[in-house]
Amino acid sequence: MPLVYLTAGLVSIFFTILFAISVGVVDIPLAEVIASLGEHSGLSEGMAISQAHRDILWELRLPRVLLAGFAGAGLSLCGMVMQALVQNPLAEPYILGVASGASLGAVAVILLGGTAFLAGIGVPLGAFIGAVAATGFVLALAGKERSASAVRLILAGAVVSALFSALANLVVYLANDAEGMRSAAFWTMGSLAGARWDTIWLPGAAVLAGAVFFALRLRELNAMLLGEETAVTLGVDLLGARRRYLALIALLTGIIVSVCGIFGFVGLIIPHAVRAVVGADHRRVLPGVLIVGAIFLILADVLCRVLLPSGDLPIGILTALVGAPIFMRLLFRAEGLGR
Amino acid sequence: MKGVFMQDLEVKKLSFSLGKTEILQDISLSVKRGEFVGIIGPNGSGKSTLLKNVYRVLQPQAGEISVFGRHLQDISLSESARLLAVMGQFHKVNFDFTVEDMVMMGRIPHQGTSGRISRQDRLAVERALVQAGVVELAKRRFASLSGGEQQRVVLARALAQEPRLLLLDEPTNHLDIRYQIQIMEIATGLGIGVLAVLHDLNLAAMYCQRLYVLKAGRLAAAGRPAEILTPTLIHDVYGVHCEVLSGREGRPVIVYGREKMAV
Repeated sequence: MPLVYLTAGLVSIFFTILFAISVGVVDIPLAEVIASLGEHSGLSEGMAISQAHRDILWELRLPRVLLAGFAGAGLSLCGMVMQALVQNPLAEPYILGVASGASLGAVAVILLGGTAFLAGIGVPLGAFIGAVAATGFVLALAGKERSASAVRLILAGAVVSALFSALANLVVYLANDAEGMRSAAFWTMGSLAGARWDTIWLPGAAVLAGAVFFALRLRELNAMLLGEETAVTLGVDLLGARRRYLALIALLTGIIVSVCGIFGFVGLIIPHAVRAVVGADHRRVLPGVLIVGAIFLILADVLCRVLLPSGDLPIGILTALVGAPIFMRLLFRAEGLGR
Repeated sequence: MKGVFMQDLEVKKLSFSLGKTEILQDISLSVKRGEFVGIIGPNGSGKSTLLKNVYRVLQPQAGEISVFGRHLQDISLSESARLLAVMGQFHKVNFDFTVEDMVMMGRIPHQGTSGRISRQDRLAVERALVQAGVVELAKRRFASLSGGEQQRVVLARALAQEPRLLLLDEPTNHLDIRYQIQIMEIATGLGIGVLAVLHDLNLAAMYCQRLYVLKAGRLAAAGRPAEILTPTLIHDVYGVHCEVLSGREGRPVIVYGREKMAV
């Protein structure tokens, strides 16, 4: 039964990608897209489409759509795991300031000229370190995780987010268009426009690895939802797991932010929606979050590409417009406030 | 070295402190094979702390605890979770579990790390739902249940662990008398050893084969309810006056007096 759902999910992702690469400022008919795919995979021969269309498809759209899929799945995964870690459905990399920490780390590395460091690993590495710092900061401010109330956690996240964003923007401002530095808009509202084949492999690999890692730890994730004490009585020691998971989430967030900039709420919207349908058990939530997260962000990015005649709408505007109402609903619902 | 009279649980000279505050001092107790044992004592006497040491949320500073003849520190958390289950007081869950999913969580100690559900898991969950009388709630959302229903679901989760020893921490808190009796009856009917922290002395007298009385972190008395539940002991431990009558099967029945609490 689960295999049926998984297959259905993967098929939907495939068709979403087909659709997404055919739509844009220049519409490329689906027939051409499919013909070009066939050509690429050696199924059919000949020049089914023009060189211009082929370039748009293969060099611009496909990497961008794949990056949207990876980022959507990855941020949703991060949200899901963070929510289990702090036992609260409001947690998410953006809301808890982890994404801002990542952006500060990334821009700091760029400012220091470390872009080329270790074959381009420098920026994501800086983002990871920034994300870890922000995570530690938020948890310290919120108090011991076990007793941290939702309100304290959200406030701590807001403070850390404001501080790290300000510092990141300060660096952007000081950098004066240093090599590889992107605009403040990129670091506050995100963009998938920079996707190229040589920048998407790292987020792709990280998201797939993260998905496999957590798929092998569904038991621990489930136990976490019940709280530390109950977890121990079910034979799961969360002390070590918690630290490892936090580090992994910081790493994944850091990698995604270093390529896509910051956009919020994906990690909140998707797990919330998926849980509403399949319940809280991670055996069902994890695959759902990955599939729905990927499809959601691919489609959101399509909207960003076509909504304005003049160019791209930053993806962060769209995700915030969808996410903020859901956040409010969760926050003001009695269960959301918790304890 | 297994003795002839193997114990389900044996606690020897256990001491536990938080910082400089000694919470428990030199506590020894046992649960014999299949026995129903109660721990009573006033608020803050260390009852729940004692239980937490047994279910490994807290680590004792001194003394040892063994279950079924094996030292607790020698066995993994996962293994001890297959031997003993806890129905505790921590029920608040911020996520939407169905009752069925919640009870399935009791199978965690029996599952591999990826949490694959086996046929055995499903059978154990079905049995537990029946035993705890919550079959008809199986598809409901845990958060939408009343306190009493939630408590029975948590009991079902503990039963799904298929433990050989059950620990109950004030299992009847906030329950009306019907559910109090129901929970105690279910626990008695399991045929496994039970160690229960109880507030209600009459309930303790009704169901427990033996009682341990805690006062300020020390053992004040131990023995069969009829032997130890005397007006003197109750006054000494709780500071209230009472009469103890003899009920069915010689079980004591406590009737409290209205006099001012003695200091």
